[in-house]
Amino acid sequence: MMSKLVKIPLIALAIALGFFVVTFTVYFFNLDMKATALLAPLLEKWYDNLPRKQYI
Amino acid sequence: MRDLKHLQYFEDLLQVANNALITQAREEGKVCVAYTCENVPEPLLNLPGAFSIRLHAPNTGSMDIATYYMTNLLCEPSRALLERAIEGGFNFADCVITPDGCTMINRAVENMELLNTMGKDKPNFFHSYMEIAFKNTENDVNLSVLQCTNHILNPLHEKYGIDVSDEAIRKAVAEHNRLCRVIREIGNFRKEARPRITGYEFHTLCLATYVCPQHLVLDKLEETLEELKTREPDEKQPWRARVLVVGSEVDDGGLIKLIEECGAFVCCDRFCFGSYPGRVEIELNDEEDALTQVCRHYIRNCQCPRMMNQQKVYGRKQYVAELAKEYGADGVIYEQVKFCDPWAYERTLGSAMLKEDYGYPVLSVDRPYNIASSVGQMRTRVQAFVESIEIKAIQRGGRA
Amino acid sequence: MKTVQKVVNPVKRAGEQSPGKIYNEKLKVRARREWRGVKDTFYDYTRWLYLMSVLGRFIIVPRNIKGFFRYRWMMSYLFVPHGMDKFTVGLRDEALRLAHTSFNFVIADVTQAIANCFRGDRRVGNDKAYSDECVLTDENSMVTFMMGFDTKKVHTILREVPTMFASNIFHQFNVMHYLDIAQQYGIPGDVCPMPEAEAGISIDDDFCVLGRCAVQNNTTCDGSLMGNGIIAKRLEREYGIPTFQLATPLRHKEPDVMDYAAQEIKNAIAFVEEHTGVKWDWDIYFQAAKRVNDATRCRIAQMEINSTPYPQFFGAAFSLYNDTNYMGNSGRNADFVKIDHKLLALAEKGYREKRMYAKEYRHRCIVWGVQPQYVIDMLYWMVQCWGVVPLTDMLSVINTDMIAEEDTPENREQAYRDMAMLNMEMIMRNHTHGGHKVLVEDLWELCEKMNADIVMMWEHMSCKALTGMHGMFEEQARERGIHLMWVSHDLCDPRVFTRQAIRDQVNAYMRTVMREEPLDPSLENIPDNEAY
Repeated sequence: MMSKLVKIPLIALAIALGFFVVTFTVYFFNLDMKATALLAPLLEKWYDNLPRKQYI
Repeated sequence: MRDLKHLQYFEDLLQVANNALITQAREEGKVCVAYTCENVPEPLLNLPGAFSIRLHAPNTGSMDIATYYMTNLLCEPSRALLERAIEGGFNFADCVITPDGCTMINRAVENMELLNTMGKDKPNFFHSYMEIAFKNTENDVNLSVLQCTNHILNPLHEKYGIDVSDEAIRKAVAEHNRLCRVIREIGNFRKEARPRITGYEFHTLCLATYVCPQHLVLDKLEETLEELKTREPDEKQPWRARVLVVGSEVDDGGLIKLIEECGAFVCCDRFCFGSYPGRVEIELNDEEDALTQVCRHYIRNCQCPRMMNQQKVYGRKQYVAELAKEYGADGVIYEQVKFCDPWAYERTLGSAMLKEDYGYPVLSVDRPYNIASSVGQMRTRVQAFVESIEIKAIQRGGRA
Repeated sequence: MKTVQKVVNPVKRAGEQSPGKIYNEKLKVRARREWRGVKDTFYDYTRWLYLMSVLGRFIIVPRNIKGFFRYRWMMSYLFVPHGMDKFTVGLRDEALRLAHTSFNFVIADVTQAIANCFRGDRRVGNDKAYSDECVLTDENSMVTFMMGFDTKKVHTILREVPTMFASNIFHQFNVMHYLDIAQQYGIPGDVCPMPEAEAGISIDDDFCVLGRCAVQNNTTCDGSLMGNGIIAKRLEREYGIPTFQLATPLRHKEPDVMDYAAQEIKNAIAFVEEHTGVKWDWDIYFQAAKRVNDATRCRIAQMEINSTPYPQFFGAAFSLYNDTNYMGNSGRNADFVKIDHKLLALAEKGYREKRMYAKEYRHRCIVWGVQPQYVIDMLYWMVQCWGVVPLTDMLSVINTDMIAEEDTPENREQAYRDMAMLNMEMIMRNHTHGGHKVLVEDLWELCEKMNADIVMMWEHMSCKALTGMHGMFEEQARERGIHLMWVSHDLCDPRVFTRQAIRDQVNAYMRTVMREEPLDPSLENIPDNEAY
């Protein structure tokens, strides 16, 4: 029973720490925006190919 | 065709802003009311004892000083007016009435005021700015009445003792209508299959009514009308197409001349300084005061793109289409002075709608204020347009 | 020439000293985020997490995914964190918290606006019942005429804000496509690119289509007024959405335009009532009026702090927050009140502790004219690179008068005039229209009031109202001994002036006229011309 009470906070702490390490790495090295920058040209092509009813 | 007797006389008057008739009218003791926009009700500036002059800057060359004050990104008419004012070319004015119609002309006049370009030796000289209507509702009529009272009539009366009574306004409207009738009758000759007046000649006469004291040109205009009634058009007409010119201000006969030199007869004019809507008679009744009726006339007839409600937006295109039909135009030229914001959009939407909704071939161009600085480009555009109209006519099985 | 006393920051900035070094030209985004010391980096990180959660909550909704792949401008919102970094470059302590508090709130507001657009959009969410409760308005629109409508029953959709205005802040190139479309259809390239881009979006059929009716206005300029005609044509003729044009007088300082303006407000309200079937509620109006006054008091207090040697809340965050609160909110949303007071508390704390944005303040600057969207971080750059502190900008110098907030029969009539006054005194147009005094002379009064020795003049080259007074600014600044630093740009078209070309105008002025060296040389040239 005691071991469970210790384990749960430890697991929670480990998850929180893992979450922090991963997200902080993404944050600090700007990985989110770097990935977005790679994605952007593909999206532009997608938008270029969409059919549109263009008129004034 | 035989030259019109007074054409040269009118052409000479248009060569300078401060023409001989302005001097003559001022020597008669009349007050010169200068203005800058077609949205100002003209009869209110032509009350007994006053005469209106719409400011223009013919033969503009360098605009360096005005460009310093306003940068080269403002429209050339606004800079040309400022330059001319700085040069002393508008010293004849006893006051300047400026509606906040378009930003650039408004700024030009504000610069004139801040630089004290006019009125140095005239203790009663004043600048007056007025709000003008945006829509054609009764609220706009009320606004217009108030603005005309506060910014035209009151200062004219207080500074120069001008009679601004209802009776005086009615008299001015009657004179205005007499002028409009003459211009309309002359303009109607353009509807003929073999017109006895060119678009350039008409524009010269019409322009003179804006930039000269009206009471001093009326007799020669009436004489010209009589002359036209018996004028024989040439057997062989030089025209390859009939066009309606629509757009921002044209106070330069050179543009109309250039278009006609390319074989396109300018059969109708719907632009600032043109006869539509500026030379349409004002109908007055006896039930309502004259000022309100004049204001309502200007709001209802206004074709300025700054009128923003959709009824006006669509109405402007319909108006052009109706004129094109009435005058037998084969195509429409939408022109705009470069850097003019209102006409930049109006030209785009108008040219699209005239083409798609009304089926007219349209040439959409921007141009410099003084066409002499860009003759080649404009000539090429108009020539190509005339050819395209001819080709379309051939494709339809009509005449080339 | 006028001079001001230099103020030196006794505290060394925590963390990174040269934020200019974290840019990377090839990546089009920064190589990494700024190290601001442990405390501030952690705070910035938590705010980043918050932003990601806002974006995440938005994108998990299926209709929002559909909208994302339908509308080109949505791509900009992938770069929101990148945009956030622009708002916080070099910031620490209260300044960082002010920027995050204001900007994150604006982001949440814009995100909600997009979600609302997609919900009602005929192509995406197609929630017809919701769409029928929506009233479309312009981007540059004071929504005072909606202050008395129950926000649960009628939704005000400023459709152009997320589509054009905000999206350009995050992605400098996104507007170019729409400008090209507009010009392809004949609109010249010399008009203001903002209404031109909006017209281009309409031509490209890239606006969400929703709403029971729409209210357009002429509040900014000739270009904006005219662009609306093109937009209204499609709204009315293709989509059957009736539009009302709310005319707002230009000469707003003249008392003889007030009756007209007030009547126009009445007409706009009647139009909304007619089309939505919802009645104007005076209780709701006067509650909103109280909030408008509260926001005005907070803004005045912020400006007072900024007139001291230790200004706190300025630059892009201040300007954008004011835009949103004053214009897009107009007292309708009670959440703004909490944020207003939080921001004021932060600024007061920063003032008490003499917080500074840079090593030293060499010049006190009023920023006049209209700022370019794609260099939104310019003012933070200016203070950190050159020690020129932007005390306030023209867009933030807005109404300071209180409006009637008690519900009495007289005040109900006064309310129309108050709404009309606010409408006429909308951001930007309260200076760019209404005669030269509000544009030129008022600037010198502000310089005196805030003890400024330098004016940075944003010369938005397509803004005719501003450039039309170019010479007068020059002459009058010379007469008053005020340094006048012209910085040209084309609002939202980076092809005309790149970011570095804009900064170089400041660099050149500071080196050649002021004969000064930068406080932070790493910022003088930043390789971000190609960055989003």
